[in-house]
Amino acid sequence: MSSGAVQTAVPLPRPCSAARNVISFARREVRDAVSSRWFVLCTGAFAVLAVGVSFMSLAGSGSSGFAGFGRTTAGLLNMIMLIVPLMALAAGAGSIAGERERGTLLYLLAQPVSRLELLLGKYLGLGIALTGSLCIGFGLSAGVLAAKAGGADAAAMLMLVAFTCLLAWVMLSVGMVVSVVSRKVAVATGVGLFVWLALVFVSDLGLMAGAIVFKLRVQELFIVAMLNPLQAFKMGVIVQMNASLDVLGPAGMYASQTYGRTLPWMLVGVLLAWGVLSLAAAGVLFQRKKSI
Amino acid sequence: MIRAERVTMKFGRVAAVNGVSFEVAPGESVALWGSNGAGKTTLVRCLLGILRARGRIEVGGCDARRRGKALRSLVGYVPQELAFHDDTRLGSAMSFFAGIRRVPVSRARELLDQVELDGHERKRVRDLSGGMKQRLALAVALLADPPLIVLDEPTSNLDAAGRAAVMKSLVALKQRGKTILFASHRPDEVASLADRVLVLKRGRLIEDTRPSLLWPSEAGVLTLRLFVDAERESDAAGVLRGAGHLVNLNGHGLCVAVPGDRKAEPIEVLHRSDIRVRDFQVLADYQPDWSRS
Amino acid sequence: MRRRTVGILVCLLGVALAPAGEGTPESQARPVSDIVALIEAAPAGATVDVPPGLYRGSLRVRRPVVLLGHGQVTIDGGGQGNVVELLAPNITFQGFTVRGSGSGVDREPAGIRAETGPVIIAENRLEDVLFGIDLRTASNSVVRNNVVVGKDMDPGRRGDAICLWSSHECVVEGNRVRQARDMVFWYSENVDVRNNEVSDSRYGLHFMYSHNTTLRDNHVWGNSVGVYLMYSNAITLIENTMERNRGPSGYGIGIKECDDVEIRSNRIIANRVGVYVDNAPLSQGAFGRVHQNLIAYNEVGMLMAPSNHSQQTWNNGFIENEQQVATNGRGNLLANEFHVDGRGNYWSDYAGFDRAGDGRGDVAYVSQSLFEDLMAREPNLRLFMHSPAQQAIEFTARALPVMLPQPNFVDEHPLMTPPQVPGRTVSPGPTGRMGALCAGLLVAGALVMLAGTEPISRMQGARS
Repeated sequence: MSSGAVQTAVPLPRPCSAARNVISFARREVRDAVSSRWFVLCTGAFAVLAVGVSFMSLAGSGSSGFAGFGRTTAGLLNMIMLIVPLMALAAGAGSIAGERERGTLLYLLAQPVSRLELLLGKYLGLGIALTGSLCIGFGLSAGVLAAKAGGADAAAMLMLVAFTCLLAWVMLSVGMVVSVVSRKVAVATGVGLFVWLALVFVSDLGLMAGAIVFKLRVQELFIVAMLNPLQAFKMGVIVQMNASLDVLGPAGMYASQTYGRTLPWMLVGVLLAWGVLSLAAAGVLFQRKKSI
Repeated sequence: MIRAERVTMKFGRVAAVNGVSFEVAPGESVALWGSNGAGKTTLVRCLLGILRARGRIEVGGCDARRRGKALRSLVGYVPQELAFHDDTRLGSAMSFFAGIRRVPVSRARELLDQVELDGHERKRVRDLSGGMKQRLALAVALLADPPLIVLDEPTSNLDAAGRAAVMKSLVALKQRGKTILFASHRPDEVASLADRVLVLKRGRLIEDTRPSLLWPSEAGVLTLRLFVDAERESDAAGVLRGAGHLVNLNGHGLCVAVPGDRKAEPIEVLHRSDIRVRDFQVLADYQPDWSRS
Repeated sequence: MRRRTVGILVCLLGVALAPAGEGTPESQARPVSDIVALIEAAPAGATVDVPPGLYRGSLRVRRPVVLLGHGQVTIDGGGQGNVVELLAPNITFQGFTVRGSGSGVDREPAGIRAETGPVIIAENRLEDVLFGIDLRTASNSVVRNNVVVGKDMDPGRRGDAICLWSSHECVVEGNRVRQARDMVFWYSENVDVRNNEVSDSRYGLHFMYSHNTTLRDNHVWGNSVGVYLMYSNAITLIENTMERNRGPSGYGIGIKECDDVEIRSNRIIANRVGVYVDNAPLSQGAFGRVHQNLIAYNEVGMLMAPSNHSQQTWNNGFIENEQQVATNGRGNLLANEFHVDGRGNYWSDYAGFDRAGDGRGDVAYVSQSLFEDLMAREPNLRLFMHSPAQQAIEFTARALPVMLPQPNFVDEHPLMTPPQVPGRTVSPGPTGRMGALCAGLLVAGALVMLAGTEPISRMQGARS
């Protein structure tokens, strides 16, 4: 290292703007995610499932050449509602907790960055990586549909992709809340898995039991069900493809008739609210967290 | 450069740092001295604004609470051991930090040259040796040429050669007028680098002094290995500690830190307590972990 | 003053709507009495070619003549009562555009009303009319190749596009109906209904107490209900297509208390409910047959009241209906037959095998689903369709057979391949768009991947 005279004329370094730091972290996150085994595994699994579901659902439809809101979408929906939240929650849960466990979090925070920038950067980067992962799966699935069915509606497919990406970002936010308060990845992943179970199965099954036992009225059932982001996602996809929720029986028809054109926006609103509020909660908790 | 007033950091009910006040002038080199758990690391994190301490911390005129980001842009930080994603390649890490520090990539290359890591860009962080990691950490810390370097026991995981290289770099930095604050539990490092020593004990600042007053010797600090009866080793350690010596008792026997010109002192102390010293050995190059004493 | 304004508006509208080539400005509109004068002058049975142009007023035809408009005559009723009334037998009314009937439901104003038969009403276009073609006791008539577009108003306030009231032995064919209430048949027997298209209406084809009728090659889509048979016996539906009828009841075909109904070789696709059967057959010894049909992509392929019995369903292709066959309420369908003479139906969710190679599965198709059972008990639970929770319930029931409900019905001889059903194929959309979407998505994914390559080369490149 070269030694020299005392340098006093060196201009003092200035920190980067928040946006630049967020982008730096996001790029690093995308890079780390893409080169990680987790990402490759998830992308592969999702692609295989998406293509498989498309193939299977098209198998029986050769004679008619018509697929309404048939099994393609229904099958994809089911698969998406299982896999995508799991992917996103796991990714989110591992994010901050992983840095903390490896001890890298401290080193990053010793740089001229704020905690919020780090959090947002990681969120953005993971979200982009997830979106890329989903795009590949859906792209292959769309290829199968184009080759085998042809007539399947591209606009509907695009809508499904858009909603799924929104779902992934929302679940990522929820995962980050878990991550921020967890010391270890294993704990964070466990809690994330629990949240997944709760959102995917427990809440719906509980609500079904409630509907039977307490004879919930349609409006009560619909409102409570809609608050679950996964149900909001499902209803959003169906209402966009069918222009109505009539597929979902009395409660769906009630919703379509009561809310009409505002219904899709309500459902998107529920998803956005989950995403924004979760991310805000993650931000606040991260700021307040004493131990790094 | 640094002004700390009544800095207190509590985790639950335990105060890791308790009412610490001090100042560091520009160009000064200051050591934080104390055993593990004395609060060195916590204090460093408070100074960087990573932890929000009570009291008042200012670095280069930036308040740690309100302008933490600006504060950290004035500081290059070297951790005990560089923690960075193991899969990341060295070049990629360097360009990431160049982005964060707002310096061109050419500057990153220049620093890799300086710490003699050029040509290793494709290596992954996990494949670097401890010394290389610390040199990388130093390069990252110096990217933006910050006026203050903060180091948290930078050599504790290094071998003798690695230690020497890092110390050499730090001395050079000091000569260039950088302000340096470093935590250490190695008397030789403190003696060779620090202008001042802040002694921490259980979170409190108990002494603000010079190394020469702490170890008033020009001859430096040596390690003296004493051979006593095995069953009396722990008694001996207790007696020596009572007399103010740094003691390490591990598998290698009983080691005591002694100023170079008063090597017989521990033997006298033990003699007065009726503990017979069979033999002794002067270990010029060996520094055990004094913090465990 | 106000009436004049409305009149001017109607005229302007008339000019705007007038077909190209006709080009009759309001100043040249003639009174309907001009046509009446021509009719009065003609001998009975003569052909009267009406000069092209716009005629205003209500036309009453009281003599048996052949009236030809050649597609160049418009009669505008001006929003008052019936536009054309055929008041004598043996009238042919062909090639006119008829518009502007009254709109008060109580007097049921129509575009063309026939009070007696036989008459021939053909190749007319009816617009902005409450009722379209209304035959009252006009037996032996023909209604052919007309186009009826109802008034643009709330479906509940619209009138019927084509209505036969106590008009027997009629032929209704090749008509196209849009935006109306029903094409409805009241107390009319031996009617031949073929090759009609009905869309965006309430009930596409609606039969009330009308017996001995054949419906062939009709296409009904986008209505609330496709075909609704009520209290009508001996009806045969052959080679019709019912698509996307998804109103509140949303039946492709609804059958209520009818005897001897035969439904064969129809394409019943993407309705809310493909075939709804309520108490049919009703009488002892009567039959109800559903066979050779393609029943695909409906929410419920076939919905039956649990009290229903003796309905025979065989040789159909049940393909990818969300629920293949459901019970409307609690109970089962074991009193009905889902296989006849050793032939059952094709079920796309059949998981059995055919070792003998005779085209029939070796194990029975048993309709038995816990979630469907729950939905029958609590219809609101349909809200949770398409969700993993539904799958979890089904999985639990399969894993713990104790939880399986009673079978809904059993098809002992399920078919291994669906029957071939002739009919128009819905043209598949352009492959290009889906291909483009595929490419776009893959490129987006690849871009993210590329973003993941590490920028080390930048650091090394500048060095060398």
